[in-house]
Amino acid sequence: MERGEGLLDLAREWVERGRALAGAGVELEVFAQEHRGLTVKAFGGEVEGLRYSHSRGVGVRALRGGRLGYSYCTGLGWEEVKRAVEEAVANSLYGTPDEHNLLPGPAAYTREDLGIHHPEVEETDSARKVEMALELERLTLAADRRVAQVETAVYADGVAEVAVASTAGVEGRYRSSDCYCYVYSMAREGDEYQTGFSFDVGVKPSDLDLSRVAEEAAERAVCLLGSSSMPSRRTTVILDSFVAAEFLGMLAAALSAEAVLKGRSFLAGKLGEAVADAGVTVIDDGLLPGAPSTAPFDDEGVPSRRKELISGGVLKGYLHNTYTASRAGTESTGNASRGSFRDRPRVGASNLFLQPGRGGREEIMREVGEGVLVLQVVGAHAGANPVSGEISLGAVGLLVKRGSPQQPLREITLAGKALEFLAHTVAVGEDLRFLPFEGSLGAPTVAVEGVMVSGRG
Amino acid sequence: MIDEDTARRVLGKALSLGGDFAELFVERRHGCALRMEEEKVEDSSSGSEAGAGVRVMRGESVAYAYTNDIGEASLLETAGVAAAASRGGGDSAVSLEKPLARLPVLMEHPVELDIDEFPRAEKIELLRRADQAAREAGPYVAQVVVMLADSRQEVFVANSLGEMASDLRVRVRLVVQVVAARDGEIQTGHETPGMLGGYELFRTFPPEEAGRAAALQALTMLEARPAPSGPMAVVIANGTGGVLFHEACGHSLEADAVFKQASVFAGKLGERVASPLVSAYDDATLVNRWGSFCYDDEGSRAERTPLIEEGVLRNFINDRRRSLRDGLPPTGNGRRQSYRFIPIPRMTNTYIERGTAKREEIIADTPLGLYALKLGGGEVNPVTGDFIFAVTEGYMIRGGEVAEPVKGATLIGNGPRVLLDIDAVADDLDFDTGMCGKEGQAVPVCTGQPTLRVREMVVGGTTEVM
Repeated sequence: MERGEGLLDLAREWVERGRALAGAGVELEVFAQEHRGLTVKAFGGEVEGLRYSHSRGVGVRALRGGRLGYSYCTGLGWEEVKRAVEEAVANSLYGTPDEHNLLPGPAAYTREDLGIHHPEVEETDSARKVEMALELERLTLAADRRVAQVETAVYADGVAEVAVASTAGVEGRYRSSDCYCYVYSMAREGDEYQTGFSFDVGVKPSDLDLSRVAEEAAERAVCLLGSSSMPSRRTTVILDSFVAAEFLGMLAAALSAEAVLKGRSFLAGKLGEAVADAGVTVIDDGLLPGAPSTAPFDDEGVPSRRKELISGGVLKGYLHNTYTASRAGTESTGNASRGSFRDRPRVGASNLFLQPGRGGREEIMREVGEGVLVLQVVGAHAGANPVSGEISLGAVGLLVKRGSPQQPLREITLAGKALEFLAHTVAVGEDLRFLPFEGSLGAPTVAVEGVMVSGRG
Repeated sequence: MIDEDTARRVLGKALSLGGDFAELFVERRHGCALRMEEEKVEDSSSGSEAGAGVRVMRGESVAYAYTNDIGEASLLETAGVAAAASRGGGDSAVSLEKPLARLPVLMEHPVELDIDEFPRAEKIELLRRADQAAREAGPYVAQVVVMLADSRQEVFVANSLGEMASDLRVRVRLVVQVVAARDGEIQTGHETPGMLGGYELFRTFPPEEAGRAAALQALTMLEARPAPSGPMAVVIANGTGGVLFHEACGHSLEADAVFKQASVFAGKLGERVASPLVSAYDDATLVNRWGSFCYDDEGSRAERTPLIEEGVLRNFINDRRRSLRDGLPPTGNGRRQSYRFIPIPRMTNTYIERGTAKREEIIADTPLGLYALKLGGGEVNPVTGDFIFAVTEGYMIRGGEVAEPVKGATLIGNGPRVLLDIDAVADDLDFDTGMCGKEGQAVPVCTGQPTLRVREMVVGGTTEVM
């Protein structure tokens, strides 16, 4: 990506030409994205896969009398975009009129350096990046003699440019770079295998701490060797930060004003009420320096900002885009979000995190005394329902006795209701970590009491 | 889409610095997506996409590059990037020995009501019909979301083995999600009819039926008690139950996991891995099924692959890479989400074959257990085979009869152990549609299963068994 204002200039031009094409009475928004990326997968000391990606696309939102139409195309030529404009306008004929379908107006964006772009990604030779993936595999294998192999070790980075322009006067662009690495280790003892996972994320290759990732992935697999199930009982669960972040993903979906307005959230109707223990504060901050989802504006050009959604256990607000804010009689919180140019903006968290408290994992285990330390949960997509708040997940971890981890556990489940988990949170640690997958979710170690843990006996 | 001479030049460029195998994949796709919620059409969207990817293999290494521009200059440039990226074993050009031969274009999955000819107003009407039927199903239906998506995907594959194949895939799918609420209790239900074909789908699966079924599931679960927890017999109903085999066994049979020894089934070909009652297939040739095609995304013919026959492991799910490296015949399972991805071994329509028992007999023969009528999603660790599944609609079985509905149940277990523990298989095979995710790629699949019983599984719930 070489041009200064390149993509924004194009977007402005398409809005103007689109306006002429669609005629009066039609409002248009153009969202353009260009992304170049590299992914390296290492396996068995070789480059298993090397993928160069370059994609460009444009999404067009058309509004006519409150009716919404959407279309997209790949490529950045006027011919393709013109067809997308025509289709979006035609598609709007079939939308149901809704007075809250609005495009946001112009806004001033922060001029501060958010630390989301660094030239190092483009300046680093791809041979060095290949070496990083290979090195991550080597380090993981060397971290513990019980690591039999590495299932996959990955280095990936990307540079993106986003621009948005509309007939309502929105004009914004930003560039970002990101890079991450992750590794799945396989530990073996006899004929038992266990897997462990770790990752790191940053805006430039030198942000990544390969040694730490390798050691953690090895340790997370090795500590599960010799695992068995346990008898069912209610107990305190200590969710490690990876797992707590997955639970936060469920909360993010329930905090969406769209889900709330449409009766699809277990948090509907609870504004101003205590929905969690007083130690729980949940923040969404789209301007958090260097965090994975930080950007000057959201996916429809509304400035990003920081807001406390749950403050000392009390539900203070929901995540809004322009549409939901209009319906609820409030302001957008800068949380319009789309998967890519192929999708119209809906609502999503930016960097959603649980405000850290005190103590690390060891300290919290000592406080809790007896319980289950949960290191991985499986089935989050199906077993954590953000509509009903029902939680029912498989887990692996360690049985905690007298404040320290003992027997590794597999084939257990955790079950309950999200609001019970929130209300029974008895400890929030200080070891905040952001999980870059599925947006950007950050959590420290969290302890929840009275959770039903089931096992084989 | 691409003529033979262009394909030859691109493949030649891809191998200009050496390599064992090169492939060009070109794709065009368009379709529409409609969404109704609160009885309003809130999404009326369409889009089109074009792109191409070039892959170069050298030993176990794969280099891939893709572009949105499918003009010849851009294809050659992309091939050059892939060639440079694969440069690890020298730089002498490999010449294409074989002329490219076009494989026959097959039309095995007829399309009667094509997506481009079916009027938009009628598509909206389908949404309304599903929505209304769901809302009329009971007094506590709080919200209905109906999504309709169609797509027309043309793919072209040419490779350095001299093969050239094209495939056209038209797909239509309806998704209905219903939320039921009463006294602060919220439950959900969903239904997803889909096919490889056109709008004739709704002759077989009227939208009203999908709407009603999703609503009844949500309404039933309002009556449900918290599920018990602990080990018990589990009867898994036909249809959605197939997702259990897909997740807990299917993924472990994919050749990339097997090759990496990251599969519980590695090294077990020819061994008994399941109860003799169990035969399982992956079959992309099933006419008009959601997970079918004529050629896969590497130009291999769709196949019916026996995975397990009477309990014995027969085949893995292969792609081109493993078949080239290990000398195995391709099984037509090389798939990719789009031109943006490297193809990997994936399932298509995966099912456990029907048995001879009757569903009623199986239930009557179960003194105490869980009847899992609908499964939600699940996850599995392919290395250990450990899995978990959400039961979205479940009932207790007491004294050989289906009793009260239970909610919040999960099934937890280990794939290989469950296969051995299946002690009854009925004759009522049925299929369900889904999107299967792996390595960030989603592809359409069917899962199928007759009603069957697993001797014992751990049910994760919140209460003791009464």
